[in-house]
Amino acid sequence: MSEDEVPAEYLSRKVPNAPYTVEQFMNAEKEMTKLLTESEKEGEPKTPVNAVFAKLSDLSKMAPLVKDVITWGRTNSLWPLQFGLACCAIELMDFGAERIDAERKGYLLFRGTPRQCDVMIVAGWVTKSMVPRIKRLYEQMASPKYVVAYGECATAGGPWWESYNIIQGIDQVLPVDVYACGCPPKPENLFGALMKLQDKISGKVAGNNERSVSENMQRHEGARV
Amino acid sequence: MAVVRINVGPVHPSTHGVLRLVVDVDGDTVKLVEPHIGFLHRGVEKLCETRMYMQNPSYMEKLDYIAPLSWDELYVAAVEQAMGIPVKEGAQYARVILLEFQRIASHLLWMGTLASDLGQMFTTFMWAFRDRSKVIKLLEDVAGSRMFYVNMRLGGLYQPLPKDFKERSLALIDYIEKTMPEYIEILDKNEIFLERTKGIGVLSKEDAINYGVSGPVLRASGVKEDVRRSQPYYVYDKLKFDVPVKYNGDSFDRYKVRFEEILQSTKIIRQCLSMMPDDADVVGAPIKLIGPAAKPDTIITRRELPRGEGLIYMIPDKQKPYRISLRSPTFVNLSVLSKLCDGVKFADIFSIMGSLDLVLAEIDR
Repeated sequence: MSEDEVPAEYLSRKVPNAPYTVEQFMNAEKEMTKLLTESEKEGEPKTPVNAVFAKLSDLSKMAPLVKDVITWGRTNSLWPLQFGLACCAIELMDFGAERIDAERKGYLLFRGTPRQCDVMIVAGWVTKSMVPRIKRLYEQMASPKYVVAYGECATAGGPWWESYNIIQGIDQVLPVDVYACGCPPKPENLFGALMKLQDKISGKVAGNNERSVSENMQRHEGARV
Repeated sequence: MAVVRINVGPVHPSTHGVLRLVVDVDGDTVKLVEPHIGFLHRGVEKLCETRMYMQNPSYMEKLDYIAPLSWDELYVAAVEQAMGIPVKEGAQYARVILLEFQRIASHLLWMGTLASDLGQMFTTFMWAFRDRSKVIKLLEDVAGSRMFYVNMRLGGLYQPLPKDFKERSLALIDYIEKTMPEYIEILDKNEIFLERTKGIGVLSKEDAINYGVSGPVLRASGVKEDVRRSQPYYVYDKLKFDVPVKYNGDSFDRYKVRFEEILQSTKIIRQCLSMMPDDADVVGAPIKLIGPAAKPDTIITRRELPRGEGLIYMIPDKQKPYRISLRSPTFVNLSVLSKLCDGVKFADIFSIMGSLDLVLAEIDR
């Protein structure tokens, strides 16, 4: 959005809880450079560096550059949830071990709690008794959150597709971003899937990189299970 | 202090799958542990009844995804018994070699995850996966797939062994025998590991027999029982190997039994490689939907799987099983968990559960 298109009343509006107007920060680059150079001057800094980051979160919705910075951060620090269901979890362990150095791309910090995670890798077949639990884990993750369906079972039911206790793919319950196929997929395949997810988040390929909450809720209501 | 009831799982980093435990704790002391299973149930036994005989091995492999080849072999052996098909001599050696390699891979993975659970000894995890990946690579080159090999055919294997199989196997065994002492350095001399395994979860000999546990859990309690010795199949009766037995029955002994089983497996493989004829014919019959008709006698086949004694009870129909019933070793081994966890500290639950080596897909079926 260029400065010309912004209505005047919008520019003069104050951001809630922020001591500045939108107009002051439309040129975010200049402002950030100013703040940073001030803090780097000798002697006691006038603006603490922390203030820059506090303002970043306010700016994220309007300033293009800041949004770019945040997208860059999201893309390169994906924290997967340590969550294995069945066979594919063994390959997930191999992914975390010595086979490929997955950390070089920024995703090896498997966390035990969903509250610290961005990516849920559904590795294994999903039984009907597991569905409410997986849903709950997904809801506990902080937005923006992404789902990778890892393996045939999570993609389409796999060899169990006609079993009475299995749902034919996790996409009946959760919005899936990337599918990795194979039975089980090699760890390299998960590596590729996460790279595709990075492309999606950074906007290199088409796709909703931020889903609204209402969209997720619709998805839940329409689920067949 | 009041007794508090808490929930562990079904999604928990240390339960190795989706096992739910309901635990009553008084302070840090465990009063009751109640395992709840069934989160991976998909009705394997029922699905098998709808398929032809040789369509089922891929279902069987997914029972135990840490050692898939052993269930594959157990099922195919049951079908061979039902149809009366003999296994070629070269294929018998080849099967024993592959099964023992699978046992080594399974125990290595178990060792790595146990150490990783007990105080984040991540080095052991990395080393175990480094060694396991070498074994897996060999099995992959033999079968063509990385994890689910589906390598067994009626009377033999899927395809001839690679030309350099013998040399590669020997080199791999040498490597494993060379690296296993490293684990003694990092685990047996590790104060944290010893504190968390020695004297934890003691299973007496009587209880082990009464509960019906099998495999390394039974042998760690002082019972020398191994199907490879008591009811030898293939060429096991021609081979010289020990059945490792320990007598304390605690988590540490269960670790030691599995550790020594790895070394015994290398011995078995070395003997098989020297006894196997050079250009042995190992290829079995190709998969055909309509095969030789099975005899209508009831089949019971036993095998020593890496986790204990596996058993298939099958009522054969002509071209597909009429009924299959499985005895999975870990399902029985899980039954001692409540007994072992009575009165221990909360953190010891995971030491005990890890040492039982549970695979939830096999338990839930």
